[in-house]
Amino acid sequence: MKAVKRLEIIVNSPDLEEVIEVLEQLKIAGYTIIKEVVGKGERGIQDGDGLTNVFTNAYILVACEEKQLATLLTPLQELLEEVGGVCLVSDAYWLIN
Amino acid sequence: MNYQLILDNFLNPPILFFFLGFVAVLIQSDLEIPTALSRFFSLYLLLAIGFKGGVELRHSGITLEISLTLLASIIMASLVPLYAFFLLKKSFNVYNAAAIAATYGSVSAVTFITATSFLNDVQQPYGGHMVAALALMESPAIIVGVALANFYRDRSGQTKSKREQRSSLRNVFKEAFSNGSVVLILGSLLIGILSGEKGATALSPFTEDIFKGMLTFFLLDMGLLAAKRIKGIQRVGSFAILFGLAVPIFNSIVGLGVAWLIGLSVGDALLFVVLCAGASYIAVPAAMRMALPRANPGVYVPMALAITFPFNIVIGIPIYYYAAGWLLGS
Repeated sequence: MKAVKRLEIIVNSPDLEEVIEVLEQLKIAGYTIIKEVVGKGERGIQDGDGLTNVFTNAYILVACEEKQLATLLTPLQELLEEVGGVCLVSDAYWLIN
Repeated sequence: MNYQLILDNFLNPPILFFFLGFVAVLIQSDLEIPTALSRFFSLYLLLAIGFKGGVELRHSGITLEISLTLLASIIMASLVPLYAFFLLKKSFNVYNAAAIAATYGSVSAVTFITATSFLNDVQQPYGGHMVAALALMESPAIIVGVALANFYRDRSGQTKSKREQRSSLRNVFKEAFSNGSVVLILGSLLIGILSGEKGATALSPFTEDIFKGMLTFFLLDMGLLAAKRIKGIQRVGSFAILFGLAVPIFNSIVGLGVAWLIGLSVGDALLFVVLCAGASYIAVPAAMRMALPRANPGVYVPMALAITFPFNIVIGIPIYYYAAGWLLGS
């Protein structure tokens, strides 16, 4: 198993594309996205209701090496300051198959 | 005033199902319609109304009256956000004022579709070109709203956020015109024009026979949504509630005057008035989130969905119809 950093990012659905842009620019090899995520945060309840995606969130799971994390945090923090959202960082192990 | 018209509209199944959805939320029922299904219904309605409009437009051709109506539609969609913004700026920050102004300048496709169903019920004809007016009125308000917000932000010396720096007017245009609902309704209109009567007959079971049933189910969902958004209204305050009721009435009076000047028929006049009086809760929130991320959808969506939309479909449509008949002759 390989030690990695796990990032869990939750943003408003229309902002998902910009998070992906950041990940792609920094050559992150892979990520997983769960769409239509609901919950509550500092900007109120995201209940998933409506004919537009502004009331739903998206969840992005990223596993990266520690050196990649350092380059990733600044642009992510800048983006989240502007559009809101959450980014959790934790230690994890990658079961290499 | 013909109160029977309001009562008949009230007892129309789609409107009653709207109330059922509303009541279901108020009594905390677990009645729920999956999000994917409600999006399907909205796409179906846009497709059906666009296609039918295209077929009828092929019959009528482009006349001077149609050209004037389309021009008036664009002008109204550009002027409403202008005056609304200056009214709103006193009570809201620049971003929310611009987003609300864009919301009220743009149109409610569902209100429009409900009005076409109302006209079918009272057997009042209307022109297919009104669907083109619907599509044309979706986007100008978005552009005006964003331009106003940018102008007043720069003037007040506030710095642009990074997204606002990236969001050039060109991007706003792209967002406004490539919006899914605009693409679907314009595309369906074009397909209706191209396929004509033969295409209309082939699609009739889909676009005609089940139309009212689909609208009914969709309005049940809208009732659920409107009632859920009512909670957001408590946060936006009494001015927003007053605005959500007064602006559609004012816009409908202006719209009626314009309809009279152009010489529209009663059916077309009702649809034009409904377009002027409606507020967008599909195209505008998506565009505003991209262009003005500091505007709060928790403010402008409840105003459009929980105040203006129910007012228009329950009371507005029969009143506007009565007024159009009185002014233009039924």
